[in-house]
Amino acid sequence: MATTPSPGPVDQKRASFEREALVHLDALYRVALRLTANPADADDLVQETMLKAYRSWDQYQLGTNAKGWLLTILRNSFINEYRRRTRHPETVDVDTIEPFAVFPEIQDEDPQGAFFDRIVDDEVLRAIDGLPEAFRETVVLSDVEGMSYQEIAKIQDVPVGTVKSRLFRARRMLQAKLYGYAVGMGYIKGSPT
Amino acid sequence: MKCEECVEHLYEFLDRELTPETERAVREHLASCPPCGEQFDFEALFLKFVRARCLTQGAPPELKRRVLLELFGDE
Repeated sequence: MATTPSPGPVDQKRASFEREALVHLDALYRVALRLTANPADADDLVQETMLKAYRSWDQYQLGTNAKGWLLTILRNSFINEYRRRTRHPETVDVDTIEPFAVFPEIQDEDPQGAFFDRIVDDEVLRAIDGLPEAFRETVVLSDVEGMSYQEIAKIQDVPVGTVKSRLFRARRMLQAKLYGYAVGMGYIKGSPT
Repeated sequence: MKCEECVEHLYEFLDRELTPETERAVREHLASCPPCGEQFDFEALFLKFVRARCLTQGAPPELKRRVLLELFGDE
């Protein structure tokens, strides 16, 4: 009776890596692009992350949070190797920036926020790129990648309260930028911020 | 729950991060307070809008090929 040879450990490693890690390539790339603000650096950062992840794949517990594990590797690589040459550390204390609320400005004219529909992808990405680094990363992890406060706190190595406060400020700041843009483009009357 | 307290929970509510009891209290307030409801709807719409605009972007096919080549030596 013919028997199918059972897959070797290398094949098994590859199969589990493809199933649990490679499926997050798009997410890693989106985060890398926002962190580095440069497609070539984002490519390198993602490739390096995948290589490190594959090398230490036996430290990852199958079936746990692969996305969070990969994003932590990506973030550490970014901090160690890219941040110094791509962006300068923040000179302002971002956690003390006063948030601006857009809703009171638009609630009479456009409470449904229809003006958002006219703002294209590139403009939103540009606005995110203009946020302070800690905010940019928090917004992308939460609003784009759907990570929980707890997961983000683990990735950024900060308390959950810091994630909450950054998210609040980051979203308000992003809203204010996009609102200012929409007013500038004449999509909404409002008052320029 | 008063408006002020409700609005304090705005993002935690939208992010599904509240305890079931607080979430229920916020929901009850929103059902009986149109101004807060309007504000929450606006913020929910904003988050949905940001996500939709950003998710159109993914890893370039060339990067995927590079990664597969480096890890497994194939495409």
